[in-house]
Amino acid sequence: MISKNITITAPNGLHARPVGDLVKLVKSFADSTVTLATPAKTVKASSMLSILSLGLKQGSVVELKVEGGDENQVLETISSFISSINE
Amino acid sequence: MTIKGIGTRGLAAGRAFMKAEMHMDVIFCGDATAAFREAFEAVHEDLERLAEQEEVFSAHLEMLDDPMLSESVEAFLEEDMTPVAAVEAACEQICGMFAEIDDEYLRARVDDVRDVCRRLERKLCGDIRTWDEVEPGSVIVADELLPSDTAELDLSNVSAIVTRKGSRTSHVCIIAGNHGIPAVVGVEIDGIHQGDIILVDAYSGEVVVNPSLPQMKEFEARLDAEEASSGDVYGRRFDPAVTSEGKFVPVLANAGNLDEIVCAMEAGADGIGLFRTEFVFMLSNQLPSELIQFEIYRDAVLACKGKPLTIRTLDVGGDKPLAYIEMPKEENPFLGLRGIRFCLSHPEVFCPQLRAILRASAYGKLRVMFPMVDTVGELSQAIAYLEECKSQLREEGLAFDPDIEVGIMVETPSAVIMADKLAQNCSFFSIGTNDLTQYVMAADRGNASVSYLYDALSQPVVRAVAMTIDAAHREGVRVAMCGEMASDPAATELLLGLGLDAFSVAAPQVASVKEKIRK
Repeated sequence: MISKNITITAPNGLHARPVGDLVKLVKSFADSTVTLATPAKTVKASSMLSILSLGLKQGSVVELKVEGGDENQVLETISSFISSINE
Repeated sequence: MTIKGIGTRGLAAGRAFMKAEMHMDVIFCGDATAAFREAFEAVHEDLERLAEQEEVFSAHLEMLDDPMLSESVEAFLEEDMTPVAAVEAACEQICGMFAEIDDEYLRARVDDVRDVCRRLERKLCGDIRTWDEVEPGSVIVADELLPSDTAELDLSNVSAIVTRKGSRTSHVCIIAGNHGIPAVVGVEIDGIHQGDIILVDAYSGEVVVNPSLPQMKEFEARLDAEEASSGDVYGRRFDPAVTSEGKFVPVLANAGNLDEIVCAMEAGADGIGLFRTEFVFMLSNQLPSELIQFEIYRDAVLACKGKPLTIRTLDVGGDKPLAYIEMPKEENPFLGLRGIRFCLSHPEVFCPQLRAILRASAYGKLRVMFPMVDTVGELSQAIAYLEECKSQLREEGLAFDPDIEVGIMVETPSAVIMADKLAQNCSFFSIGTNDLTQYVMAADRGNASVSYLYDALSQPVVRAVAMTIDAAHREGVRVAMCGEMASDPAATELLLGLGLDAFSVAAPQVASVKEKIRK
């Protein structure tokens, strides 16, 4: 298992539309288990509703964890996707 | 057996089609988790099949597959809930979690969650039929009809819809209205069974189950009469309504958003007699900018295609507050700061709206109307704000119609009493009979124990209408009516007799009110 802390830069935080795209991306890595964690709770990154329930705003820090599959590549792809959200 | 609900319009008869005969209160015994998994798989298959035909169902499938839903249901099952109760609880939990978030896309996903949960519940209760089995002429009887149901249903086979849940503005009524299908909602459907003969009178909201022979005969006669007249009447909807004495009486429509204007034009309206602007102020959690308002009003006047559009300025108050403006709690909101009273005390709300309306007036025939005006002083103040906005626009070089007509809603007894003086200061009246009735009779329209007094056709209200029209005509001012009384076919002849110059009615009533005027 590897992990990385990501600071949300999107001005509107992680809202529904980009999260929908994020979930699609996560689901494409069928061999990996991807989770997102805040100090309050840890959720599956394959659940749009769960991610939205974290209420991530601009400036929030979230820990991205990947277990299984090509861990390094998956972590890199997903973290750069989250950082690229700018709406 | 006759059951009563809230109806739309139209008459229909047919045999009941019940997709599921639900018994939500059954005691469940068995393996709840297994039952849920089984229902889950079955719904999954249904949605996969549907998603191949219609894109919307892919979104439903995504929500069904979202781990949060299953996990939440399973957590409730562990608390020994029945499967149906657990799905219901999970649905409420998830939807509640997002209720506060103002994001259109997310709201649509939350609606998808609800839809998916209803499907699961039905599966658990034993869906005994599918929508493919609906035979022509069926009366659909259901707890509620979801957007996914109406998408799946072949509506050409549906003669009427009867549901337990829903209001006149709910999805099912809107869809039914668009397809000319009579619908009655809020009906206690427990006594109805598959194959029962059902007579639906959506005008009165009455649903007759397994009628007697005389009931059948009487209903058939009404059905024949309606069919004979409605086709012809609808065909003449674009023809002007001219009375037997040769007077042209415009029949306008009331609208609360852009779609309703488009519908009204298709329904044959001679213009919009009341465009409510409250929706503009409820689009978001903040005051809409002048620019946003200008674009909406411009699109509205363009949608009228050269016919007049009467915009009513914001009509809010203690009874219908705005979330983002502090409104002190009032002991008696119907007698409090509402309508023009509110706008005059909040120029920061009023002036941007007036400027937006003026700017839109460059694009068509637009009139402005103030609600709840009591006195000449209020009207003069409102006009002063309008003139101030005009001179600002002139300085800024922005286009508007300098001769824009100004009118008022007559809906308080004081406006009726002062009608002559008010008429000297504006160019048209529109009588709002809903509020006028409640203020003339001093009877709350929502209070059932005084509902015997709330009658727009009672003598005091009719006299108030007559006084208003007479006073206005002496000053050369035209009078329209935009309350429910204007849509009531029983009142048309009376109102014409009193000299009413124009009617403003709900879009579906335009054709029939025009026909009534011609007679």
